[in-house]
Amino acid sequence: MSVLFVDQKMAQEDGSPVTSSAMYFPGLGSPYPWLSPGIGSPYPWLRELKSEERGLCLIQLLQGCAHHVASGSIEQANVWLEQISQLASAGGDTMQRIAAYFTEALADRMLKGLPGLYKALNSTKLSSIAEEIHIKRLFFDLCPFLKLSYVITNQAIVEAMEGEKMVHIIDLHSFEPAQWINLIQTLNARPEGPPHLRITGIHEHKEVLEQMAARLTEEAEKHDIPFQFNAIVSKLENLDVESLRVKTGEALAVCSVLQLHSLLATDDDMTRRKSPLATNNLQKVMHINKLTLGEWLEKDPISAYSLSPDSSLSPLSLGASPKMGSFLTALWGLSPKLMVITEQESNHNGHTLMDRIIEALHYYAALFDCLESTVSRASMERQKVEKMLFGEEIKNIISCEGTDRKERHEKLEKWILRLELSGFGRVQLSYHGRMQAKKMLRDYGYDGYEIKEDNGCLVICWHDRPLFSVSAWRFRRYE
Amino acid sequence: MGDLDNSSSLVGSTASGEATFSEPPAKKKRNLPGMPDPEAEVIALSPKTLMATNRFVCEICNKGFQRDQNLQLHRRGHNLPWKLRQRTTTEVRKRVYVCPETSCVHHNPTRALGDLTGIKKHFCRKHGEKKWKCERCSKKYAVQSDWKAHMKTCGTREYKCDCGTLFSRRDSFITHRAFCDALAEESAKAQTLGSSQQLGNSNPNPNPNAGKAVVVASPPPPPLTPSNNVVSPALSIQSSEFPENPVGLSPPPPATTCLTSTTTAISTAATTTSTGNCSNTSTSVFASIFAPSTASQTSAAANSSYSNIVSSSAIPSASAMEPTSLSLSTSLYLSNNGSTLFPTADQQDHRQYVASPQAPAMSATALLQKAAQMGAAATSGSFLRGFGLATSSSPPQAQDSTTSLQWSNNSHSQQHKRDGSGGAAATVAAGLGASSALLTDLMMGPPVPFGGHHQPMTRDLLGLGIGANGGGGSASSAGLSALLNSFGGGGGYTTYARGEESSWEGAQERKPNTATGPALL
Repeated sequence: MSVLFVDQKMAQEDGSPVTSSAMYFPGLGSPYPWLSPGIGSPYPWLRELKSEERGLCLIQLLQGCAHHVASGSIEQANVWLEQISQLASAGGDTMQRIAAYFTEALADRMLKGLPGLYKALNSTKLSSIAEEIHIKRLFFDLCPFLKLSYVITNQAIVEAMEGEKMVHIIDLHSFEPAQWINLIQTLNARPEGPPHLRITGIHEHKEVLEQMAARLTEEAEKHDIPFQFNAIVSKLENLDVESLRVKTGEALAVCSVLQLHSLLATDDDMTRRKSPLATNNLQKVMHINKLTLGEWLEKDPISAYSLSPDSSLSPLSLGASPKMGSFLTALWGLSPKLMVITEQESNHNGHTLMDRIIEALHYYAALFDCLESTVSRASMERQKVEKMLFGEEIKNIISCEGTDRKERHEKLEKWILRLELSGFGRVQLSYHGRMQAKKMLRDYGYDGYEIKEDNGCLVICWHDRPLFSVSAWRFRRYE
Repeated sequence: MGDLDNSSSLVGSTASGEATFSEPPAKKKRNLPGMPDPEAEVIALSPKTLMATNRFVCEICNKGFQRDQNLQLHRRGHNLPWKLRQRTTTEVRKRVYVCPETSCVHHNPTRALGDLTGIKKHFCRKHGEKKWKCERCSKKYAVQSDWKAHMKTCGTREYKCDCGTLFSRRDSFITHRAFCDALAEESAKAQTLGSSQQLGNSNPNPNPNAGKAVVVASPPPPPLTPSNNVVSPALSIQSSEFPENPVGLSPPPPATTCLTSTTTAISTAATTTSTGNCSNTSTSVFASIFAPSTASQTSAAANSSYSNIVSSSAIPSASAMEPTSLSLSTSLYLSNNGSTLFPTADQQDHRQYVASPQAPAMSATALLQKAAQMGAAATSGSFLRGFGLATSSSPPQAQDSTTSLQWSNNSHSQQHKRDGSGGAAATVAAGLGASSALLTDLMMGPPVPFGGHHQPMTRDLLGLGIGANGGGGSASSAGLSALLNSFGGGGGYTTYARGEESSWEGAQERKPNTATGPALL
């Protein structure tokens, strides 16, 4: 938008941008200031914008900027970024914050076009494990999503393990002890008494697992429950499922909270090849119920890697990720009695950047609104979560590609297809789980959140906007 | 009916055989509780007999029965000889049972119980071991039916007081609330937050005002009797106080705010805290109630609080209010350290207070939906065309100077920019098509300074001449705004478009007066 003006203005002037009075905003005597960013003068016009207009302005500016970034026109994108920077602020209202993080992500993406510069700027980053853990804990505290997911998961586990004497739980990202403490307490109150409980926790940092082990064994001893914690220090993508040591006779439950989508990160080039056997593949998919995904992959490896445009739900696009496929198959091989999966309910894995940006804009707008409604603007914790959790996710979605892009969120319908292809059958999440979740929202006083039920799965929404989905699965045997 | 020679008029058990056939047999009359029939037969069973469950056992299958009759009927199934004992006499003698436990009240025949099952249950409950335990709340029961009944209700419906006590019954909950100390503290806190000025509060302890309906009545018993003697000193106190601080008491806002703050808090407290708070002394308030003639002496605040008091005193205190009103002030918990999934009792929540200090802004999701709606209304069709034309027809110097503005002045960047802008024209314009009235109104705003040769450009850019209204209505959006719609709010953008047009026209005609933001949107 501003580019347009600049062109026009320059066309008529003698080339000096400073004194142009051609385009001025009626009602104000001063020149249209935002067209001359090089001046660096105050932007009184912009400051007079009220919050709503500023928000709308930011949205339009973001879209314009995104277009330029998507098409590679760096200079134009730069102009737009400059405009946005006048309005965006990490400490302002919701839209301002969102704009700040989105422009940071866009700028990061642009900067990757100059790899030397990018590397120089990013080589001295300090990362601290304690900080990461702290951020995750803040997210757990400030937002209800993790708590809701844990409550629903635990309820599903308790229901599935009714009557079981030996229970083994595999936690794909074991970092919050509160989840399992709650489960231990619930299992303890079972009429038939608590089972023999084993929890295998997976995390890439040893310290986290040590802390989990300590807290959980302490809790189990308090309730006199036979308990054992196995720690597996590994990244999820490098996990060797065989090493999980699932014993015969124990009932297995797998819990995955916001983890699976990172396995979709693959080398994008490989997946862009289109398969000429489109229709054949469709027919093969029809037979998929009789085969595991692994066997299907063996039969037709090329089609497995093909990808049709991401917006379609065709099963062709699902077979794309070999990592995901093999991981799910390995899990299936453990024949779990229950697998509960919590994922973000949004499509951030689109092929085109613009698709991803627009989806992410709507999704993170809702997340930022959630924070705005519960935490004050001055809160440093809120800013930390916004910057180091949401901001990093946004940066990953927008500026990373290929195996670097881990935040490949997808919608529930795609997950359902994926899991069914891998041999899992659906388990309906019970009414009790939903009631527990609602009770928790009430107890904490969270307002504005809703738990919706979608064909046996639960969707955690902020007003009407779905944000997270929780679904339950079980090992399904084929005849 | 007349078969029993009973001097007592209380008893008249009618054997069903005596009843006339046309009417159903009369039910057994029950004695008044605690007054057994003096003619009744007193039966003292041993504890073993009372506790025995299945004394009659079938020899074939070892199934136990409580009554011999039931065993006999069961024996029929085994083709065994069976004999049902008939009633010995037609005369029915009322039986009452005593508890075998000597220390028990019911051991005395005058306090015997009339029902066999009743005495059995009594014995178990009072003198037996509690073998049945509720899992949820760890309450123990000796009688299984008691336990079953409890399991039906345990955890189903709970009322929770602020002090942490749980109730399953609404009436006990309400009664408790009226007297709860914890509530009193909370409402006292709310009082001190809400009202800034409390002059010479004659009541040193605000708590009694808060929670206890009973107590409130007591402090000013004299004013309750409308005697002028009592009223006038109180009023004189009041009137002397008012000149000191007219602001504090006179304007309705303090009165209403403390009322509202307390009505949001607790129902009973509302009645009482308003009395305590708004006019300093409870005595003066009551005085104002009972001395309407002298109310004119008092300031407006007393009047408003008076009317408020009257209206609230008209409401029966606790029971009228819904327990759900409590939920607004129920302390809500935020887990800080030692995070738990469900909140613990000692954790405070500040969430209620957060929303107010911030400037109420439109939520980001609402903004996105609005932007999508606005984008639909933009004339991006003609706009696209116009933009394409604009770039092609704009003289090269334009781009030179533009780039000189941004980067260095070399042809490299010009080239890049031109190509970039040309190539990206469609995409940019599509994106810009979503940027709606803001952009177009800015364009429309000052036509004059453009100069002569700019007007054709303007026309091109907008696809309409300056002053023309027609173009505004054309084209629902193509390209990205439609995409936005599909992702964003979507609905109803057509109606918005019509609104858009009128604002356009308005903007054109009212050029000098166009304000900044609102008129555009």
